[in-house]
Amino acid sequence: MIKLKSALAGALIAVLAISCGGNGDEGRQDRRDRVDILGAGATFPAPLITAMADEYRDLTRNRVTVNYQSIGSGGGIRQFIEQTVMFGMTEAFLSEEVMSNVEQATGGRAFNLPITVADVVVTYNIPGVGSGLVFDGALIVDIFMGDITRWNHPRIAELNPGKDLPNLPITVVHRSDGSGTTNVFTSFLSRVSDRWRNRVGYATSVNWPTGIGGNGNEGVAGAVQNTPGAIGYNSFAYALLNNMAYGSVINSAGNVIQPSFEATTEAANIELPDDTRILFTNTPAEYGYPIAGFAWMLVYENLDANRAIRTRREAEELVRFLAWSIVEGQELSEMLGFARLPEAAVEKSQQMIRQIKWENEFIGAEVLDGLAAAGSPNQ
Amino acid sequence: MKTLVQRNIRDRIMESLLVLSTIVVLLPLVIIIVHVIVNGISALNWDFFTQELGSPSRALQGRPTGLVHTILGTLVVDSMALIMAIPIGMGAGIMLSEFPDHKLNPTIRIMNDTLNGMPAILKGLLAFVLIVKPMGTFSGLAGAVALAFVMIPILARTTESALMSIPWSIREAGLAIGLPRWRVVLSTVMPAARFGLVTGTLIAFARAAGEAAPLLFTSFGNNYLPNHWLGMILGPADTLPQRLYSLAISPYTHWHSMGWAAAIVLLVFVILCFGTARYLTRQKH
Repeated sequence: MIKLKSALAGALIAVLAISCGGNGDEGRQDRRDRVDILGAGATFPAPLITAMADEYRDLTRNRVTVNYQSIGSGGGIRQFIEQTVMFGMTEAFLSEEVMSNVEQATGGRAFNLPITVADVVVTYNIPGVGSGLVFDGALIVDIFMGDITRWNHPRIAELNPGKDLPNLPITVVHRSDGSGTTNVFTSFLSRVSDRWRNRVGYATSVNWPTGIGGNGNEGVAGAVQNTPGAIGYNSFAYALLNNMAYGSVINSAGNVIQPSFEATTEAANIELPDDTRILFTNTPAEYGYPIAGFAWMLVYENLDANRAIRTRREAEELVRFLAWSIVEGQELSEMLGFARLPEAAVEKSQQMIRQIKWENEFIGAEVLDGLAAAGSPNQ
Repeated sequence: MKTLVQRNIRDRIMESLLVLSTIVVLLPLVIIIVHVIVNGISALNWDFFTQELGSPSRALQGRPTGLVHTILGTLVVDSMALIMAIPIGMGAGIMLSEFPDHKLNPTIRIMNDTLNGMPAILKGLLAFVLIVKPMGTFSGLAGAVALAFVMIPILARTTESALMSIPWSIREAGLAIGLPRWRVVLSTVMPAARFGLVTGTLIAFARAAGEAAPLLFTSFGNNYLPNHWLGMILGPADTLPQRLYSLAISPYTHWHSMGWAAAIVLLVFVILCFGTARYLTRQKH
């Protein structure tokens, strides 16, 4: 027994020694400078934010490590409120109720900082028909309501002259789990159709009138790809990654918009409120893709009120990372299948970052001014 | 009256039936191990043991990525859980076995069974409220506490039955030479029950090592090695079962094979623990 225990203790000590001595080439002072930043939330922007974290770590020479765990938008908001993470991430902005609760608890506001634009495409599997089938809002509503049940329906043919559409039954596929993608998609349907708004509405999960459920983007994609005649919805990045056929959508200005990063960015190029809490599906932007919405990072105005942040240094490095992610970090977007933030959103975010405080000092403004002076986020 | 030949045949039939049922019992285990190895072996390379996971784009672009932080995190969290659970779990087991008349025992037994039957995710929730909320951050420590809750009832049970299997005469011998009762337990009963105690500890450990649910909102997960001393204890830590799950549900094929490789490591880890402990307990005889 004693031998076993000492062996276990020895193993633990060895493990600790290894885990702490991982990067032995750095100096002692250097190590004290290091900061771990913890964020969690939405799954959709996770590939982007983790790639940013990789990049930022290299940029700061391992000084700042951003650990982002994708636990879903709901979880992101929850842990943000519980103050167990330094920043949250969500595809649905904070409700008035949550905002006022935060104000009561921390004496400051909660900021919703756009980090990227989520775009949802209609994916389908029709043998012999590739990407580019044209849909309008009313048609998508009719299909997802279960009113149009065959691909050779005159309404579809009308929008797609010259396309040879088979007499194939339509199988609707939707998400079975709560999802920001569903929120964006159903909010678009609610905006184009009163019938949809009254009967189904929009949320991270809704009562679908018809169709089969798939768990996650991959569940929907799998069902669509394995079922001839299936139609579903996926995030654009996911459809690209998996070579799925996706449709173009006619927007509110009457233009046929093929999904693209530019069209998605364009969708957000509208009059934004100062707190950027706006849903712009069915965007009024003339050449904007209509099924798109922001994904936001969540931070407190008073960072010292967030129990997850213990020191001013952590707060400063968090702010520095936020400022970097909405400007330089956006360079990674296209490569990873994400649309860039429009200028207007970056400006609004920077205005909010300026108001971030630590013990009543405006560290957000300090960091931004420091960056502007240095021209680079790092030394 | 049956002939010797008949009886021999009957013996053979029974024997082969027993062998067959043993195979049937072992078959699922073999299938699992083979399936895991076939799917994961291709992702097991030097990078897997030396690099951090980072973002999925690392895997997509073929840059080095691995699970060194996950493997270390598992060792740290699981060992801490064991260190916390052994005194409490074994203590309860000793109490139940050696002081059978104590008036607290019926309560302990009921509470222990309840704890054992409680879903593991609730234990995670308990650790979230007890450790994560007051600390203001997810931590390996919280994960260890959650896993300790998984281990304690199993340890109490197995300790009790291991000690009960030791004949009463051994205790009487100890008492006869004037040892106090605690000394009898510590110096005669427990060494005699050594094998059972270690086996029980291992069952508890192996059970906890495979749990992902209690870790979801306690140790939380990390894509990198922490930057600070004790970072795995006081900050979020990655563990194999939880990382395995998140790799498996990801949309990236490379991450899927890394998930299988993580399963191989977890299997080998558990098997190694069993092997080592068996070796240590057998040495003296």
